[in-house]
Amino acid sequence: MNFRIIRVIIGREYMTRVKKKSFLVTTFVVPVLFALLCSIPALILTLSKGKDKTIAYVDESGYVSGKLEDTKQVAFEDFTGHLSAEELKAQMDNLDFDGILLITPKAEGKEADVNVTTYSTKPVSVEIKEMLTQQIEEAVEDYRLQQYEIDGLKEIMQDVKADVQIVTYTIDEDGEEKETSSEVFMIISMLLSMIIYMFVSMFAGTVMQSVIEEKSSRIVEVLVSSVKAIELMIGKIVGVALVALTQFFLWIVLTVVLVGAFSSIVGFDKLVEGSSSTTQMMEMAGMDSSMMDPSTMTMTMDEHSELGAVLETLQNINYVQLIVAFVLFFVLGYLLYASLFAAVGSAVDNEADTNQLVLPLTIPLMIGFFVGLYAFNSPDSQLVWWCSMIPFTSPIVMLSRIPFGVATWELILSLGLLFLTFLGGAWVSAKIYKVGILMYGKKSSFKDLWKWIRMK
Amino acid sequence: MNIIECRNICKNFGEKVALDHVSVEIPEGQIFGLLGPNGAGKTTLIRIINRITIPSDGEVFFNGRPITQRDVEKIGYLPEERGLYRKMKVGDQAMYLAQLKGMSAKDASNELKKWFVKFGIESWWNKKVEELSKGMAQKIQFITTVVHKPKLLILDEPFSGFDPVNAQLIREEILRLKDEGSTIILSTHNMESVEELCDNIALFNKSHVVLSGNVDDIRREYGNNNVEIEYTDADGRHVEVVEAGEGANAILRQYIEKGVTINSFKELMPRMNDIFIKLVKGE
Repeated sequence: MNFRIIRVIIGREYMTRVKKKSFLVTTFVVPVLFALLCSIPALILTLSKGKDKTIAYVDESGYVSGKLEDTKQVAFEDFTGHLSAEELKAQMDNLDFDGILLITPKAEGKEADVNVTTYSTKPVSVEIKEMLTQQIEEAVEDYRLQQYEIDGLKEIMQDVKADVQIVTYTIDEDGEEKETSSEVFMIISMLLSMIIYMFVSMFAGTVMQSVIEEKSSRIVEVLVSSVKAIELMIGKIVGVALVALTQFFLWIVLTVVLVGAFSSIVGFDKLVEGSSSTTQMMEMAGMDSSMMDPSTMTMTMDEHSELGAVLETLQNINYVQLIVAFVLFFVLGYLLYASLFAAVGSAVDNEADTNQLVLPLTIPLMIGFFVGLYAFNSPDSQLVWWCSMIPFTSPIVMLSRIPFGVATWELILSLGLLFLTFLGGAWVSAKIYKVGILMYGKKSSFKDLWKWIRMK
Repeated sequence: MNIIECRNICKNFGEKVALDHVSVEIPEGQIFGLLGPNGAGKTTLIRIINRITIPSDGEVFFNGRPITQRDVEKIGYLPEERGLYRKMKVGDQAMYLAQLKGMSAKDASNELKKWFVKFGIESWWNKKVEELSKGMAQKIQFITTVVHKPKLLILDEPFSGFDPVNAQLIREEILRLKDEGSTIILSTHNMESVEELCDNIALFNKSHVVLSGNVDDIRREYGNNNVEIEYTDADGRHVEVVEAGEGANAILRQYIEKGVTINSFKELMPRMNDIFIKLVKGE
């Protein structure tokens, strides 16, 4: 093994990639996008205030009229008594309102039931619709309560209403209590598995492409006449790994800087408020229906609020452990997959022929990704546990478990298994690579690969 | 002194035998031709000398010692199937390949600049390879093969892809390198350049060496020992083929005494092309 030569190879692999425009773009654009993703909800919160809409309404039922209160976004104008519902609708074009709201009594069903219709030139936002529903429901409920003719019933009802908030603490090995938010863990867990999946598949794919490039451009024979095939493979894999790590650290640094800069402008609490509404949006998008409890929709700012928990959880996360684990699992997972992808690349003449051969590699990677993505549902289940140990899925799945707490021995065992598998995989790959890079013409099958592995 | 000695080299790829007990000796400071039809095992032998492939049996000696990975730095190899990184700049690429041959960045840069000036291609340094024509890329490849001043130069079909002017340029460079003491292994199907350039050859067929030795000796051996004489007398121009048994001087004297004007006189040797076909087809 000639380390001076390997350094030269690593240098080329690294420099050609880092100087590429696509690398610069992804490195600098992604953190900007990420920072925007964090800050846009806060921005919208800030900017949307004061943008008023006016809604005209006619209440023919008599339960709601006069009870709709203006909100930050919407002002109401009551036309009850002046116009009928039909007239208001007919005049909608002449009157300059953003929308009209018609409330009519329901003919059948419960007492004091109403039909509610809105007409508007632009679709009504989910938020306004919810606000309308809530206000009208309240008005109708008030009316019904009054029908019981019990003194002070309204106050009694108010008194009876319970407001339960669960505060979750985790107790670590030192017996220290930490307030935690499962939602935050979920997001971090999903993000980690997504990022590591992306990194491993992207950069292992890069290695494969670059092997194919050398083979199809026919430069490989010149290269292996100067250096050993194994040196070439190691140089390539390490060079690309350094590119990945460079990108990763630049992302962290840039995101921190951008988010920091932004929060100093907008204010950190706004930022978190905004990003936790992103969290809720993700939940609403069907991540987990059990979390779609409407009570999480209204945000209160008291001590044990959602926001407080988010903040405290974010502060309590062991970032050092997280980053160290990420780097270790990424590096080993990448090394394993990159060497196997390099072997596949060496066995084909062009990228179109890789399909059959990469399948056994992409399948475990995909399994790892999906298990990792949903691991937050039950991070200690059998499936998740085994997937976090089996080397082909462990880099992704273990990372998704880490936010929920993983015993040190499990981490070490998983890393050890991954490392041993990498050694075995690299040995097999080197054998295939050595023969494969000089084979042209014939489309190689698994049988050929097996033959090459056994070749002396 | 032999710079390369292959002793009883065998190479199998699974069932297929690529080389069967092949022994070749390549003397230092000469141009050695590797000939043979496609698939005869030339490229396999070249790869074994380069340590790209390991022989199944037998040994290669470099300057009398078993060859090691370090010796590869003293070899320059221009494979038949050659290419460059398309997206890389010509200069960076040449620097890279030179450094892989063990040159320091500084030496590589100095030597490469000299070659670029010599070939009049300084302006290509910052061009990307994909902007070059095939012939231009071939020139770069030739430079990267010789830049580290290899003791042994292995050229596989070096003239393919060059126009006649550039092929001549390369031919001159090869001869100049030989004069400077390099040994050159030339693998080619172009028999004219074998006659012109090579001192010794080995002819491969079906995994064996079927003929080897000095080019002139071989041609004489396969010839009928005739000479061709062209002269002018009162009747005009004549061409005659005579058996050269008595020696060139005797024949010439005979003709001069006849009082004719001799225009040309040459030993009639079979073309390498004919010998090649005869041996390869005849077996």
